[in-house]
Amino acid sequence: MKTLRNLLGATAVTSLMATGAIAGGHGWSLADAAKPYAGTTVDVVFLLRPGYEAIEAMLPAFEEETGIKINIIKHPYENALGEQVRDFVAGGDLDIALIDLVWMGNFAENEWVLPLADVQAKFPDIVDPALDIDDFFPLVLNAFGGWNDTIYGLPVDNYSGLMFYNRCMLEEAGFDGPPSTWQELKDVYGPALTKDGKYAFALQSKRNETQSADSFARVLWPFGGSFLDENFRSNLLSEESQAGLQFRQELMQYMPDGIVAYDHAETVNAFSQGDVAMITEWSAFYSSVVSSDTSKVADCVEIAPEPMGPAGRKPALGGFSMAVASQADEAEQAAAYLFIQWATSAENAREYLERGGVPARQSVYQQDGLEAFKFVPALVESWQDGVPEFRPRFAEWPEITEIVQEWGTKMMLGEVTTVEGAEEIGTRMEAVLESAGYYSGDKPLAQ
Amino acid sequence: MRGQVSRKTVFAFIGPAVIGLAVVGIAPLLYAVWTSLHFYNLTKLKRVEFIGLENYMTVLTDGVFWQAMGRTFFLLGTALPLQLALGLMIALVLHQPGLTLIKTLCRLSLVLPMATTYAVVGLLGQVMFNQKFGVVNQLLGGADINWIGDPENAFAMIIFWDVWQWTPFVALVLLAGLTMVPGEVEEAARLETKSKWTVLRYVQLPFLLPGLVAVLILRTADTLKLFDMVFTLTRGGPGSSTEFISLMIQRVGFRGFDQGLASAQAIILLIITIILAQIYIRVFYKEV
Repeated sequence: MKTLRNLLGATAVTSLMATGAIAGGHGWSLADAAKPYAGTTVDVVFLLRPGYEAIEAMLPAFEEETGIKINIIKHPYENALGEQVRDFVAGGDLDIALIDLVWMGNFAENEWVLPLADVQAKFPDIVDPALDIDDFFPLVLNAFGGWNDTIYGLPVDNYSGLMFYNRCMLEEAGFDGPPSTWQELKDVYGPALTKDGKYAFALQSKRNETQSADSFARVLWPFGGSFLDENFRSNLLSEESQAGLQFRQELMQYMPDGIVAYDHAETVNAFSQGDVAMITEWSAFYSSVVSSDTSKVADCVEIAPEPMGPAGRKPALGGFSMAVASQADEAEQAAAYLFIQWATSAENAREYLERGGVPARQSVYQQDGLEAFKFVPALVESWQDGVPEFRPRFAEWPEITEIVQEWGTKMMLGEVTTVEGAEEIGTRMEAVLESAGYYSGDKPLAQ
Repeated sequence: MRGQVSRKTVFAFIGPAVIGLAVVGIAPLLYAVWTSLHFYNLTKLKRVEFIGLENYMTVLTDGVFWQAMGRTFFLLGTALPLQLALGLMIALVLHQPGLTLIKTLCRLSLVLPMATTYAVVGLLGQVMFNQKFGVVNQLLGGADINWIGDPENAFAMIIFWDVWQWTPFVALVLLAGLTMVPGEVEEAARLETKSKWTVLRYVQLPFLLPGLVAVLILRTADTLKLFDMVFTLTRGGPGSSTEFISLMIQRVGFRGFDQGLASAQAIILLIITIILAQIYIRVFYKEV
């Protein structure tokens, strides 16, 4: 941890010096920059998750300083894409797009969002000299906010898959730490911890994005598999992909019944109630499982990186960025940029973290007094070794994820074998990609 | 008579209704027909193009569509007879003479399930059928039945809620039919025979048939487009076990954003509904 902190600290300081952005040296202030846009209302979609509650709690300070009103429209994750797509197609009111990393291709290719550089060039006076874009974890910035080598959004609600484990349950079963590999989890921890109505592990697998991202993809990558090969053909029948999918089937014996109906809420709840010893969940749920208001096992919660597979750790990667909408008028675009810049700033990162958010700023993780945030070392490690294309980020993902969700669940229910399911997903996925023009060369093989 | 009412007056009376119907009902339908003939994906609007009947061919040859259709008809075939049987029983009980206050209270309470928003029914189901904390398992002696995560149980749960919510509607419609039976005819029949079945079959049933046909048509249409309750309760899962046709159309149109394909699915569903309604009318009205 110390070495990592030193390394990141050096990077952050170098970045700050390179941009000459030491605070207070430029006479730039948020209040002055926002003056022409005071009274502007910015419409933005937020999710019902801790990271957004954190920003909402910080918001009065921004509104008071700038006079800009932020109108938050809240949606559960599952509705957020549809609501935003309909708004942008209809030329609606949204001034900021909240973009999951797998939606970025869609938003960028449809030109619903503006490249960050274009906004900064259009409104040079509102660009904070201390923005320091190099302070963002490069993997996170590029994966969450970038598309085809262009940055559109700044990372705001950042996730990496982590292992949450109940130290008390593990100790009671004779373990002094979590499993380091998936195989160990299944072969050693599974039998020892699954008894008396308690389960060793829960893998959220509900038939929505949870099935494709949190369950299906999670067992592909550590075993060396992937959705696509380098030619954009299905790779799901490869030996490695099949090993991962078969592993999931075998691991199900140590999970609660009906795991295919478990979404994030059910999984986090099962862990928080002490019914499940280990889960692999997004870092965003940390504040929920360590709060005694929402967790019976708050004192027993420990965090580790996800277990390794034969191909390495390859943890789940997910998260969102906020980008300025092209449909907004000029004042709204400027006000939207100011809000995004403020919400993702290094200056506010510590408060965001303390209120339950997970910032993507490297510098905040160098600060002292972070011992209470047990997820930090695992998170930082994960962001060094994440897979940006954990789920392909192209515009066709919304169609493909539906296919994966359907057949991935059928595999888990035993309605089809992993081979049959992979064949079906592969055939349908390639049909979508063919129709999109990837095989004819109309579109570059970018994900 | 015709000469006394001017054409303007006729248009003034029926015009607003026709315009309202055209704007609210016919225009969206025509738009759906138009989109069904195009490649029309909300996230690929730069590629909108006329593709003729290709979307229809895709739907008609898609096994997943027909599986969803089969599931929907299985639901119809199980829930509707239950609703009819239970609804008729309730109607006959409430048609008995005496106990006026209790019967009035029963009639009022029958409205409650129908007045409950579909989505709320689904959310209620999530809580009541929760494997660990749900009241249903508690009532079953602390049983450990996995309702939502098991394909068969989830389907049974949907049937239960549909029957719970719509049996009262059937009962009220049939009760209205029973009140149409002339008292003296029913009384005379009861003097002729002690068999309640005979009275029901030859005296009451003819008066119930118009209501029954209305129930069949409305409940068939409702079941074919059943969405809210299932969406909030199981979201079509686990797997595809409760993915009925309307959920599939929503998934294709609003989660995959393929509005063209979803429109073709919806048009085919509309055609099936119209055909079924025609069959009901012809078969059952023939018997009257």
